[in-house]
Amino acid sequence: MIKVANLSKRIGDVQALNDLSFSAQDGQITGLLGPNGAGKTTCLRTVFGLLKPDAGHAEIDGIDVAKSPIEAKQQLGLFPDPFGLYERLTPREYIRYFAELNGLSGKQAKQAAAKVLDKLHMNDIADRKCKGFSQGQRMKTALAQAIVHEPTNIILDEPTRGLDVMSTRVLRDILRDLKQQGHCVLFSSHVMQEVAALCDQVIVMADGKVVAVGSPDELCQQTGKASLEDAFIQLIGTDEGIAA
Amino acid sequence: MIAQIRTMLKKELTDAARDKRSVMAGLYYAIGAPLMMCGMFMLLISQVTSPDALNINIEHSERAPDLVKFLASNDITSIDDSSRKDIVLSISEDYASNMAKGLPAELTLSADNSDEKLQSSIRRLEKSLQLYSAEMGSLRLIARGIDPKVVQPIKVNVEDQATADSKGGMILGVATFMMIYAVFISGMNLAIDTSAGERERNSLALLLSHPVTTRQIVWAKMAAVTVFAMLGLLLTLVISKIAYGFVPWQELGFSVNLTPEFIALMLIVSLPIALMAAALQLFVSFMAKSFKEAQSYLTIVLVVPMMLSLAASYNIAPDTMQWLPVSGQMQALIAFIKGKEIPMLQLLLSSASTLAIAFALTFGMEKSLKSEKIVFGL
Repeated sequence: MIKVANLSKRIGDVQALNDLSFSAQDGQITGLLGPNGAGKTTCLRTVFGLLKPDAGHAEIDGIDVAKSPIEAKQQLGLFPDPFGLYERLTPREYIRYFAELNGLSGKQAKQAAAKVLDKLHMNDIADRKCKGFSQGQRMKTALAQAIVHEPTNIILDEPTRGLDVMSTRVLRDILRDLKQQGHCVLFSSHVMQEVAALCDQVIVMADGKVVAVGSPDELCQQTGKASLEDAFIQLIGTDEGIAA
Repeated sequence: MIAQIRTMLKKELTDAARDKRSVMAGLYYAIGAPLMMCGMFMLLISQVTSPDALNINIEHSERAPDLVKFLASNDITSIDDSSRKDIVLSISEDYASNMAKGLPAELTLSADNSDEKLQSSIRRLEKSLQLYSAEMGSLRLIARGIDPKVVQPIKVNVEDQATADSKGGMILGVATFMMIYAVFISGMNLAIDTSAGERERNSLALLLSHPVTTRQIVWAKMAAVTVFAMLGLLLTLVISKIAYGFVPWQELGFSVNLTPEFIALMLIVSLPIALMAAALQLFVSFMAKSFKEAQSYLTIVLVVPMMLSLAASYNIAPDTMQWLPVSGQMQALIAFIKGKEIPMLQLLLSSASTLAIAFALTFGMEKSLKSEKIVFGL
């Protein structure tokens, strides 16, 4: 479970987060939906303790990130934006490396890496260096890194950007799979179809604040609109940002 | 804690070993620098040692046949061929008559005094001429019934206590500096790649989002850069040992030999320097905004150890310099080469100050990796 309470963060002259509170439950996929510049990435970075909030706190499975960052991060897997691959390593080495950093022994890490490579159908590229990988191959490698140590909570920052239909489907299947296993999945996006297709709960963000929370259907009902896109525009009160 | 550092170190080294730029940077220096040094020493030796036969231009040699004979007995001749040095010894017209009258007989020595290559030849010729002059003077005194010793009130006995090794010390001072510098060069590219490069490739934020402390990250990176620096040094030493075998040291009257003891001492003494170099380079690279910026900053930073070590080998700085990092270790190494006792207190103090700087910078990096400014460049 991921819980943030009253988060505020100022970056330069911008109030990136403004008294933001929400929670993402285990066994659910939660979407953080907002236009560009709404503070989604800032929020996720704060959850990881990479940014210090000016006020408020973030909890992972009841562990305060600011107080015990290492314990909190052990419960987390991150699919970052951008991916941050090591181009001179192969996916197998890359995944094993992060598995070991999360406290798995050499042998366990090797097994875990083999398992996740299998799961993501990556065996054909597992021993090639990441340099020159396609966007889809990069996505899979980054995703494998996020789930290899089987954290209870998985956070994905804009996971579908730049992916083709096949890769998007692989990603969706994996996320549903993780949900079935009882993981807490939180992802940020500005793609309506993605959010509508996957999420149990949608948190609509604008200007660093939560403007609405609910399932896609609930949001439609709440605003009296037929599609999530229209509901979203109604909620954030402007079509600014969507066009971008 | 330790297991994760080991994991990171292993990954950093694998990553670096596959990075052509990082490996080549170390290799170029380790192979190139000793060879360049050898070339330089060979040139130096051929300049400072004049060949046994000195061939100069003696004008009007027929006016002083005795002097010419004397010079010839000292291997100074006048043969018109390509080996003739640009030194002209001209014998005046009235040489013979003045000599006969007991008046100063004039010789003119003309040469370009600013030409370094001629210096030793000129000195040799002057010395021979003085010797001839003294001999003639003594003969004249004897002919007048006076003991020549009365015009030699002082007799100076020069005992050269320089051992073969201590004469080579100066030259080896330069060579030692070249070897210590390997520690700074070999790890530099890796240091930039693993800090500024890591941030530029966006993997730094990902690494920090995993359950590792910034201390573990910094120590692993320090260890990786230090390993590269020490490997670079080891390679430089091995290549130097082989290459110096080809330098004709015997012409200088001493030999420069990288003994296994010296190599061992070098490796031990350089370890703190390697740690400091790694810390310095990582610190500066983390502070820089990009890979390119880090490169240009480090070029400037690298001048500092160069100054310190040059100060040590040329005695141009005050004594306090002996206690500073790099120069302190350099002096200990030079003392070892010269066969003198190693100044232990000085070596320990400068090693301690080197380590203190390394740890201070490491601590600074730990703190800076917690800063949003450094990690995201906000």
